[in-house]
Amino acid sequence: MSKLIYNRRRFLGTAAATGAALASPFYLRRAAAQSGGEVNIWTYNDFVPAAFKEQFEAETGIKVNVRLVDDQGKQFNLLAAEQPNPTVDIMTVAGHRFLQFIDSDLLAPLDTDRLTNWGNINPTFSESDWSTINGNKWGAPILSGMEVLSYNTELVSEEEALTWDTLFSEKYSGQTAYIIQDMMSIVMLKMGYDGNMVAYLDDPDKAAQIVEEAKQFLIEKKPLVRKYYDGGAEFQQMMVNQDIALGHSWNGPAAALINDGFPLAMTIPREGSYGFVYTYNIANNAPNADNAYTFLDAILSSPEIGAAMTKASGFISTYKDASQHLNDLEKKSTSFPEEQLANLQFFRAEANEMKYGLLDPAVEAIKAA
Amino acid sequence: MTYDASSQRGKRAETLETSGRTFWGRLVEWGPYHTLMRLATASPRRQFLILAAFPILWVLTQHLGPMLQMLRVSLTDAYPVAPGVEQHFTLDNYARFFGDSIFWMPFFRTLAFAGVFTFCTLIITYPVAYFLARHVSRKNQMLFLLLLLIPFWVGEIVRTYAIMILLGNTGAVNMVLKWVGLIDRPIPFMYTSFSMGVGIVYLTALYMLLPLYSALEKLPQSMNEAAADLGAGAWTRFRRVSLPLTIEGISSGCTLVFLISTGFYATPVLLGGPSTTVFAETIAGFFHVAGDEWPTGAAFATIMFAAALVITATFQRVMNSLRKGERK
Repeated sequence: MSKLIYNRRRFLGTAAATGAALASPFYLRRAAAQSGGEVNIWTYNDFVPAAFKEQFEAETGIKVNVRLVDDQGKQFNLLAAEQPNPTVDIMTVAGHRFLQFIDSDLLAPLDTDRLTNWGNINPTFSESDWSTINGNKWGAPILSGMEVLSYNTELVSEEEALTWDTLFSEKYSGQTAYIIQDMMSIVMLKMGYDGNMVAYLDDPDKAAQIVEEAKQFLIEKKPLVRKYYDGGAEFQQMMVNQDIALGHSWNGPAAALINDGFPLAMTIPREGSYGFVYTYNIANNAPNADNAYTFLDAILSSPEIGAAMTKASGFISTYKDASQHLNDLEKKSTSFPEEQLANLQFFRAEANEMKYGLLDPAVEAIKAA
Repeated sequence: MTYDASSQRGKRAETLETSGRTFWGRLVEWGPYHTLMRLATASPRRQFLILAAFPILWVLTQHLGPMLQMLRVSLTDAYPVAPGVEQHFTLDNYARFFGDSIFWMPFFRTLAFAGVFTFCTLIITYPVAYFLARHVSRKNQMLFLLLLLIPFWVGEIVRTYAIMILLGNTGAVNMVLKWVGLIDRPIPFMYTSFSMGVGIVYLTALYMLLPLYSALEKLPQSMNEAAADLGAGAWTRFRRVSLPLTIEGISSGCTLVFLISTGFYATPVLLGGPSTTVFAETIAGFFHVAGDEWPTGAAFATIMFAAALVITATFQRVMNSLRKGERK
């Protein structure tokens, strides 16, 4: 099964990326100034389509060095350790983590005037409130994700999957999994609180009480969960091996399984959930800043490239018209009914310091319990 | 004009030999070199120091250096140091462990797991080592050892995934049990202390096996024969002869396996479940989390390192006294 999935995924990914690259020669011909040199990128797996990278390198002479990351915190620590002389030019920061990077002087403001293709991004993402901080743009939105309830359609009904309660039900005891940090925010939302904790910025006691309540809930439900996991690949592995029947996940890894033909579906439950946006950002003191802008402008150049990123990663493209280049199954795996989308809100960063100051010890306590 | 090849070759060889001899000869006869070498090798102590210099340098830079750096980081309030931030020395990171009982459970759980898994590894590998050392002909022993070594040619992660393939709901063990009709639904082996234990025992078996094999292989056959002549049965021979004389191997193997088990990270993450969180995962959490959490992670790692050393030293003392007791 996993072999089949791997082959299909590779085939689909390669085919999509090749199509995208072939469809975007215009920019690359234009960018063929052959400036040379290199650009160093820290990003998640499949966020730079292979065919695009190959063609970009051939046309511009700029070598693209990708270092894979799987965690926002690791990126932060790596970059903090390297500053003020970082080796990286472009990183992939989630929108709700901007503030932390900006406060530590790790990001350079993005000069959107240097990006002729900036207008290709859907304004919902490029012009939203979280994307402008201190009067500057700090990143180019590329992919959008959300926290969803994913379920094996042969084992769980669609109706059951419309509420987070199913994840904590006795019926599916030992058949569920979730990322515990993310689940804390969702549980707070499910309890009727603001999981972003922005509403409690002036009331830290209330914030602490809410986190304590969510913590106690997850400790109480601990005997029912099969696994606290960390990465999308782990979730896919557990689903494919039928170790779990349903779980909280990011939509990207779930969509990738759906596109592979696995009997999986996902919902944004009625209690609500959170969305996030991955952005490409330029590091402060980036060693190859000019090449970084050339790369960013290239990758934003056509909706086909956005579609290729979606096909490979499963996350939803932020590019205008990218969905027109997806097949029916891919469209299905990256779209949600309007009534479910209405339950979605984006993660916000304003209260992150207080939030994670409370959340991190709570997560340790849940794990230790 | 004729060309004498042999004479040319002879001349070239002579030139090379002369120049070679000249270089080394000149070096040896060079006053400072001669004096330096004479001083350096004047006594066995100096010769030993010269030989030991590179290994000592290696240990200092590659082993002790990183540990000292970890200790240093654990005593600071910020690392990596962000631009414009001043770093101070503090004991707060250690106080955080002792002041917050949240962290005690994974800490003691890790030590308990390491102890239990070490014992299980000993119980499982002792018969294997015994069989190998006592019942396999000497010419075949190397072949058997080689076979046992083969899984260790691949990394920890690959072997951990092999365990996942075996124990998963759709894994080999469940498939066989289903096929023979013993179960209808798969047994959830994965993400439990059992799956984690299987993984750790599998990964550490060789570290126990080799010291045991070494101790058993040195055990003279005549001792068991003498005990048998005096009427001792198989169990008595094992209990009164083989076991006491292999305490050194048991001690070395257990020490190695215990120390390794306390530091495992990837295997518990991949094979463990919600109730098996070990201290290495807690430590890793401090390095993953963005912010000034590295010093806390370093402090916790130092605490675990110190605790493992204390337990191991105590264990070694007990084993030594047992060994001395047997000799009396």
